[in-house]
Amino acid sequence: MSDSGKGFYQVFEVFSRKNDTAPLQHQFSLLAPNHEIALVMAQENFMRREPVYDIWIVKRSDIRQMTQEEKESLKRLDNKDYRTTKGYGYLKKKWRQYEQEMLDEKEILSWKGEIQR
Amino acid sequence: MEGRDSTMKIMKPEELMQHPEYKEVLIELLFQLADDDLIIAYRGSEWLGLAPHIEEDVAFSSISQDTMGHAAMYYQLLEEMGVGNADDLAHGRKASERRNAVLLEEVNGSGHYLHEPRYDWAFTVVRNYFYTQAKKVRIDSLKSCSYVPLAQVAVKINMELYYHLMHWKTWFIQLVNAPGEARERMKNAVAKVLDDFAGVLTLGSKGKKMAEFGLIEDEDLLKQRWIQAMKPIFEQTNLNLPNNFGMKRGNGRNGEHTADLDEAIATLSEVYRLDSLANW
Amino acid sequence: MPVMTSFERLSEEEKYKQFMERIEAGEKIEADDWMPEEYRMTLVKLIAMHGISEIMGALPEKEWVPKAPSLRRKLGIMAKVQDEMGHGQLLLRVAEDLMAPLGKTREEIMQDLFKGDLKFHNVFHMPAPTWADAGLIGWLVDGAAIITQTNMLDASYGPYARALKRICAEEVFHAQHGESIILALAEGTKVQRDMIQDALNRWWDALLMFFGPDNASTTGTSKQDITIKYRIRTKTNEQLRQDFFTKYVPRILSLGLKLPDETMYFDKKQGKWIYKQPDWNQFKEIIRNNGPKSKERLRLRELSYRNNAWVREALSGQSAAV
Repeated sequence: MSDSGKGFYQVFEVFSRKNDTAPLQHQFSLLAPNHEIALVMAQENFMRREPVYDIWIVKRSDIRQMTQEEKESLKRLDNKDYRTTKGYGYLKKKWRQYEQEMLDEKEILSWKGEIQR
Repeated sequence: MEGRDSTMKIMKPEELMQHPEYKEVLIELLFQLADDDLIIAYRGSEWLGLAPHIEEDVAFSSISQDTMGHAAMYYQLLEEMGVGNADDLAHGRKASERRNAVLLEEVNGSGHYLHEPRYDWAFTVVRNYFYTQAKKVRIDSLKSCSYVPLAQVAVKINMELYYHLMHWKTWFIQLVNAPGEARERMKNAVAKVLDDFAGVLTLGSKGKKMAEFGLIEDEDLLKQRWIQAMKPIFEQTNLNLPNNFGMKRGNGRNGEHTADLDEAIATLSEVYRLDSLANW
Repeated sequence: MPVMTSFERLSEEEKYKQFMERIEAGEKIEADDWMPEEYRMTLVKLIAMHGISEIMGALPEKEWVPKAPSLRRKLGIMAKVQDEMGHGQLLLRVAEDLMAPLGKTREEIMQDLFKGDLKFHNVFHMPAPTWADAGLIGWLVDGAAIITQTNMLDASYGPYARALKRICAEEVFHAQHGESIILALAEGTKVQRDMIQDALNRWWDALLMFFGPDNASTTGTSKQDITIKYRIRTKTNEQLRQDFFTKYVPRILSLGLKLPDETMYFDKKQGKWIYKQPDWNQFKEIIRNNGPKSKERLRLRELSYRNNAWVREALSGQSAAV
């Protein structure tokens, strides 16, 4: 009898997106016999008080998780400012010599709209 | 003749004063809609904590809440029309004054929600699925209701029906396609629900007038739409969908009800009746 | 194929030392991380009991769901009891992941409950005979639960801390739902006001017991030292009970209600509430499932689980048709 329950109690991970620009976010896990039932239960179990735009259901056993040991591989030194804008901050002063504004992140991301001439 | 003009729209409850017959038929329709949703949500609320699976308990409860919320919106429309306070209409009316379909008042199974409940999940899935589909057909028609406040409510309610339908349809198809005992239970539940399903689809003795006044379309047309929606599901699951359904235990639209409704009203109004004038 | 990694080569003692360093540094432990057996078993017991208490805790309030006196109250209490089931879901998932290496699933949790091996909180063995009890549970039992649960928000076990974060956010709604019922009664007729006082009298001892005994000498056992050692919680049972008094006694009195303990007062010098101890022998009896409603509620839970077994069996085949 207790074995028959095992097939019903499969673990599914639930992910959701708040709106069409938000990233997918992990919510929680639930037990269900299959993806379809998991899907119809997911929203009301984890998002009944917040807006939700999309839901993903993933079977836990399909996820390759990291072991405690492997998580060591995620650490790195803090010497990589050449990869970020932090390493190029001096440009601001440089451009000023040429009487130009620096094209920083804020400026560049503002270009999605109309560019002022 | 009042209301014969199919383009006539009534924008506000105050305008109903000039159309007494229209108002009477509208009240009848609103009671059917409100009482149906109230009683099935009440039956759903009895399941709380007792569903076959914890996650499903949570999901089902949201549907019961939505559905009771829909009932509250209809009672609110009645309140605005001067018929009575929404809570009094929901709690204070006798069974003979109620207009819900008999199928929806039936107990969830033997026993009481506090004592030896042997609730029937197959019956619950089938009743909810078939009812939600019928509700969807009615709501789609009500979106062009001549009483504009009701049309506006229908647009809102429609939004929540997609989830309800998806939820019940998923359970229905999976259980009916499961081997052995489950399929048998589901087939019995389908037979039981269809025996009284004509009571859900009918609009009662004032149905013709409702169509005439442009409140909702003719019940035969709505019935055909329900059959059209259900046919592929029946075919897909190898079940037989008859052309006619029963009204075995009476027509709730005419105030005919069973002892199940008396008992439900006694329970749902137990605290309210302690002092119906008190603020709770 | 499996490569013996450096962590696995450590002795048990070294692993334990590293584990304690991690939690003392405020790191979170995850389900698949190495953990001492005592830690795992303490968590399993604590979280399974917490989770099943939510599921059992739905039952006393659920009695009032179909009976709530207005449409709005019906909706409010339905949402509240739904949350209890939802909290049970979150917590049982956390417990189930911890039990997976032991070969146990939700099925075994339910069976342990029915056998009496898995206990549930003392408050949920008590009767809730009036609508005021439904309000009082939301106001004070949930109030007590907020005090104990917020104390564990920084628990060293990550999945538990994350579940509690979700739960505590919803508890705020629960507390307000309870307050709303209680304030309506408090501002109502004499009959309504008497209903709350009766409910308070009925629940007082159970509320004191909710936090557990002061120390092991009261009841023979207490897990509080272990949970503090492992940074699952920070405050003792008695500190939590005192916090509860500080937050709730003034509110109880402000509504014109009387404390059921006439001897109770706040001792300014000691900075603590002096109160009459509840009967801790009765507490032991209650959590052994010999409380006033223990058997009835267990029967309800077991019957509904058995009665619906066919649903779970029907869909337990991997190839369930879609």
